[in-house]
Amino acid sequence: MLLQVEQLRTYLHLRRGVLRAVDGVSLHVAEAETLGLVGESGSGKTMTGLSLLRLLPRGAGRIEGGSIRLDGQDLTALTEADMARDIRGRRIAMIMQDPMTSLNPVFSIGDQVAAPLRYHDIASGAVLRSQVIDVLKRVRIPSPEQRLGDYPHQFSGGQRQRIVAAMAIGCTPRLLIADEPTTALDVTIQVQIISLLKRIQQDAGLGIVLITHDLGVAASLCHRIAVMYAGQIVETAPVRAIYKAPAHPYTQALLAAIPRLHATERRLTAIPGQPPSLIDPPEGCRFAARCPHRMDRCAEPPPVVDLGNGHSAACWKLAA
Amino acid sequence: MPRFLLHRLLQGLVSIVGASIVIFLIARLSGDPILILLPNDASPQLIAETKRNLGLDLPLWHQYLIFAWNALGGDFGRSYRWQMPALQLILDRLPATIELAICGLVFSVAIAVPVGVLSAVRPGGWTDRFGRVFAMLGQAMPAFWVGLLLILFFAVELNWLPAFGYGGVSHIIMPAIALGWYPVAAQTRIVRSAMRDVLDSDHIRLSRALGTPEHWIVWKYALRNAAVPLLTMLGVYFAAMLGGAFVVETIFAWPGVGRTVVEAVFSRDFPVVQAGVLFTSILFVLSNLLVDLAYGIVDPRIRADR
Repeated sequence: MLLQVEQLRTYLHLRRGVLRAVDGVSLHVAEAETLGLVGESGSGKTMTGLSLLRLLPRGAGRIEGGSIRLDGQDLTALTEADMARDIRGRRIAMIMQDPMTSLNPVFSIGDQVAAPLRYHDIASGAVLRSQVIDVLKRVRIPSPEQRLGDYPHQFSGGQRQRIVAAMAIGCTPRLLIADEPTTALDVTIQVQIISLLKRIQQDAGLGIVLITHDLGVAASLCHRIAVMYAGQIVETAPVRAIYKAPAHPYTQALLAAIPRLHATERRLTAIPGQPPSLIDPPEGCRFAARCPHRMDRCAEPPPVVDLGNGHSAACWKLAA
Repeated sequence: MPRFLLHRLLQGLVSIVGASIVIFLIARLSGDPILILLPNDASPQLIAETKRNLGLDLPLWHQYLIFAWNALGGDFGRSYRWQMPALQLILDRLPATIELAICGLVFSVAIAVPVGVLSAVRPGGWTDRFGRVFAMLGQAMPAFWVGLLLILFFAVELNWLPAFGYGGVSHIIMPAIALGWYPVAAQTRIVRSAMRDVLDSDHIRLSRALGTPEHWIVWKYALRNAAVPLLTMLGVYFAAMLGGAFVVETIFAWPGVGRTVVEAVFSRDFPVVQAGVLFTSILFVLSNLLVDLAYGIVDPRIRADR
């Protein structure tokens, strides 16, 4: 298995208390597989992504428990220097939400795409230049030879996200964490970036963790989906199963909340209530307060129920 | 020449003409130079004759036009007091002033950049705390007092540096520190806050995520972003140092433009005051132009807007 995360717990130590941003997350990603990490804002999906790179908010964020194995190697045991040198950008890369601000405005894109290759000692001099051009070609930047000296502001949003992707895949990482890579883009550009990510994946056998709140994007890119709610994964399933037969009440509510083009009712359905505070969260099921199927047993932590075919969900209703 | 440069040059010319009018009028508001040039018991004929000789009997606008026309040809008139061309007097003193301003600026930047950067990297750390105290001291102590303390300590007590005058490297150290100390505080603060903003930005987060070594992130990727606001400030301070060094120049008997102009003001030596102030305003415009050019080097977005 390329990536195997077990019982990961990442807490943020804030002034008002300990926030359990990631609270017992287990997931795995195979080579050339895309796992979608889906959830609303604040559900802990970005913190999960950052935990994989051990890039947590300084002073506040800490991995409190669990393991992160990349090709069998436990990343939680590595030193900070090892993480920077051997893992970040080298074996796990990340691209972020906003391509307009993800590039350094005062360095040329040639410089920026070359940087990871340079400090991971992959290339230098003329070889470096040709590799930079090559990787820019792979992300379909037109005539990259002439554009190495250009600056981010001279590119469109979609092109910038391609350049960010070029920075990320330059060192041929094994795993790519893509945090809302298309959210800030136009719908047409979204499609281009999604197909670009698919192509990169096919070329390199790259594992991808796609963090998104957009179930449509997740459906078009992912093989499997993990639904996060309040710091925990409530349901994991192959992409078809999530959309055809969602098992967890939260997933069902999430899917019901997607506006449909041919829907007869005029009002949008929303999930009533709010997610619980992750400082002192409820002991039992965290969705219980908003759940239409709430039972007495929901006050205890729900079991993870295996539904077969790689489909599992954490809910008392399914255990019955 | 790029268009923006032409634009800036024109703006600069307008500023310089404006400055020349203002200084011309203000100098004349300050009193009648005849009263200083001639003895108290001078006869009315002598006063009238001297006025005519110096052109002081003409209407103000006429005097200004004569002054402006001559100034264009490099003739600012003769110093009433030193009996030599005013421009010559100023030009002789100019190198010393520029030298002092550059050294003062280098001193302030040499302190402000490392302290500002380290404070931003570790807010609340010892550099941050030290920087704050240092900055507060700098802003709380006027330049003349810093100058006096420096003289007291390094010249009188330790006898390491000459107390005043113009000469080798040892002569410029104390005036440069006295001149450069005040802006350290503001510069440190701007570097610190700019660095904090940059270090918190998405592109730095991406750099970290791709394994960029921390010293590259701080000293290369972040610092160049933070240089833009610092540069603006440096332009203003450099100009202020060129024009406002007279206090320091006076304390250290530094033979610069500021001191010369101050002396000329006291003796109502109009041609010297006018030449000095006009020259300072030209330097002001030039230093801002330099900053504009430097922007383009540091920030490609500004280059493109041109």
